[in-house]
Amino acid sequence: MSIRVDAIRKRFGDFVALDDIEIDVATGQLAAILGPSGCGKTTLLRIIAGLETPDAGRVFLLGREATELPVQKRRVGFVFQHYALFRHMTVFDNVAFGLTVRPRRERPARAAIRAKVEELLGLVQLDWAAARRPAQLSGGQRQRIALARALAVEPEVLLLDEPFGALDTQVRQELRRWLRRLHDALHFTSLFVTHDQQEALEVADAVIVMRRGRIEQRGTPAEVYDRPATGFVHRFVGSSNELAAERRGGALLVGPLPPIASSGPDGRFSIVVRPQDLGLSRGGGGWPGRVVAVRAIGALVHVEVQLEGAGPDPVVAEFSRERFRHEGYAVGDAVFVTPARFGVYPPEELS
Amino acid sequence: MTDVANRPAAPPRRPRGLARGALIAAALLYLGGFLILPFAVVFTQALARGFSPFVDALADPAAVAAIRLTLTVAAIAVPLNLVFGVAAAWAVAKFEFRGKSALLTLIDLPFAVSPVISGLIYVLVFGAHGWFGPWLAAHGVRIVFAVPGIVLATVFVTFPFVARELVPLMQSQGRDEEETALSLGATGWQAFWRVTLPNIRVGLLYGVLLCNARAMGEFGAVSVISGHIRGLTNTMPLHVEILYNEYNPTAAFAVASLLALLALGTLLARAALESHAPELRHASRQAPAQTATRTGAVA
Repeated sequence: MSIRVDAIRKRFGDFVALDDIEIDVATGQLAAILGPSGCGKTTLLRIIAGLETPDAGRVFLLGREATELPVQKRRVGFVFQHYALFRHMTVFDNVAFGLTVRPRRERPARAAIRAKVEELLGLVQLDWAAARRPAQLSGGQRQRIALARALAVEPEVLLLDEPFGALDTQVRQELRRWLRRLHDALHFTSLFVTHDQQEALEVADAVIVMRRGRIEQRGTPAEVYDRPATGFVHRFVGSSNELAAERRGGALLVGPLPPIASSGPDGRFSIVVRPQDLGLSRGGGGWPGRVVAVRAIGALVHVEVQLEGAGPDPVVAEFSRERFRHEGYAVGDAVFVTPARFGVYPPEELS
Repeated sequence: MTDVANRPAAPPRRPRGLARGALIAAALLYLGGFLILPFAVVFTQALARGFSPFVDALADPAAVAAIRLTLTVAAIAVPLNLVFGVAAAWAVAKFEFRGKSALLTLIDLPFAVSPVISGLIYVLVFGAHGWFGPWLAAHGVRIVFAVPGIVLATVFVTFPFVARELVPLMQSQGRDEEETALSLGATGWQAFWRVTLPNIRVGLLYGVLLCNARAMGEFGAVSVISGHIRGLTNTMPLHVEILYNEYNPTAAFAVASLLALLALGTLLARAALESHAPELRHASRQAPAQTATRTGAVA
C-alpha cells in the first residue's frame, strides 16, 4: 500500500472534521476522494501531506509510518486548487525550486537542475514558457506548471487538492485526461480530492466517497455507481431522481400514485432512481404523468415528466435517441413511468 | 463609460459637469488651504532671510545634536518595528490561534491612544516615582529624560505601521505558497526568505517608509519623556518647538523644513513604490476597512 490512513480523527473546535477515517491506496493507483464541500476531504489530504496534524490515528506512506514526519520528509507532491505558484519567480525557477532548496551536499549541479526542469516543462508541454511569470499564463497552464514543480522532486505520492476546480469545463476535461495519461506513463501513486463526481468517475481507479467526516463507500467507479452503499452515495454519484414515499405492508406509496411492491419495515422513505432506470411508456401500468419538457441533445434524450399528484418537481427519464425517434414523446403527452431499478433509503441518509 | 457619456439622450450632462467642477474646485481649495499652503510657508519662512541664516540654523550644535538624536532613534525604532511587524503579520495572517483578534486590536492601540499618553505611560513606569524607577535609579540606569526613554516611546508610537501594512497583504496571499515550499522540501527558514519575503517586499518597504517618517516626526510622546534637554534629549520636532518659543522663527522653520523634506521624500518614494507594484495600492487601501471590521467584531 502506498498510502494508508488508520483511524484518523480531527476536530476543529466543536466541529468534527474527520471521524475514524481509514483508507488504502495501492501503489500505482489513481484514487479520488469525492464528497460535498465541508465533508473533510481536504483536511484528510492535508493530514496525509503533513500540512495538518491529526488528533488521533496514523498515516503510513509506502508502508512506513509517517504520522510524526514533517512535511519536508514525507516525499509527497502537493498540488493546490489555486496552483500556489511562487508569483515572483519565473516558471523555470518555480519548477526548479524543490531542487534548489536541497542542502548543498544533495543538491544537483546547476546543469543537472536545468536539464531536469527542461525535461519536466517538455512533459507538461510548456517548454516555451520557462522565462514567463505565472501571472502571464492561463489557469490550465498554471496548473500544469504546479504539477511539473511537484514532480521535480520525484515524490512517491502525489496529492492533489481539487486540482481542476478553478478551471472552466473544457480545460478541466482536457487536463484530467492528460493527468490520467501522465499518471499511467510515470507510475506514481496519486490521490486527488474533488467534489465533482464526474471527474472522480472518469479519471480514478478507486473512489472514496465522504460525507460529514466519514467514509460512505469505497470501491471502483463502477461499484460506487452501480451498487451505492447508502442513499447519499446513490444521490451524490451520478444523476438521480428523488421521491418521498411511504411503505405500508410491503407496498411503497408515492402520494396517490399506484403502489409498487417493496419488502421491509413500514415508515417514511426516500426513493432514489437514476434517469436511465425510469421506464417510459404510452400505455399500460406504472405511474401516470404528463411530459413537461424534452431535451434531445447528443446521444441521450431527457424527458421530464410531472407525475400526477406527486411532488412539485418533475422526474427525469433518460433513454437513447434511437428509441426517442421511434416513440416520439412531445410536451403535453400523457405517459406512464415505471422505476425499473431503484433504492429505498431512510430520508435522513440523503441529507 | 464612454458609450454612456456619448449617448445623445443624456439630458443632465451639463449640471453633472458643473457638479463635478465644483467638487474638484472644493477639494483643491481645501487641499491648497490646509496642506499645500502651510507646506509652502515652512519653506518661505525658512529662507525668508536668505540662505546663510538657514545654513547657520542647521549648523548650530544644538540643531546638529537634535538631528543626530532623531536619526539614532529612528535607526533603532524602525528595525525593531520591522522585525516585530513581520512577525506579528506572519502570525496573524498565516496561523489560527486563540487571542488572534485581541492581538490585532492591540497592534492598533498606539493609533487609538494619544501620543502624550504613550509618553506618560513610560514616565509612570520608569520615572523616579514610577514602578521601576527606584530600582533603575539604584542600578544607575536612566530611561526617562534620556535616550532610552525616547526610543521606547518612539517604538511604541510607530509599531502599527509595518504590521498594519503587511497583515492584509499576507492574508490575501494566504498560506498556499509557503506550504508548497515546505512540501517541496524547503525548511521554514528557506520558505520565509525565498517565498514569503519576496512576496511582501514592496509592502514591507512601504511600511518601513511610513514607520520611519513617523519615528522622525513624533512629537507628543517624545516631548513628555525627553525632558527637553538641549543638545542631549532634543529631537528635531522638539528642537523646532524650542526655537519657535524663543522667537527664532527662521531657525525653527529651517529645522522644520528638513522634516517637511522628509515628508515629501516619503510621499515620492511611496508613489514610486506604488507605480512598481499596483497590488500594493490595492492592499493598502483595503487595510483600514478590514482592520475596522475586525476591531468591530472584537468589540
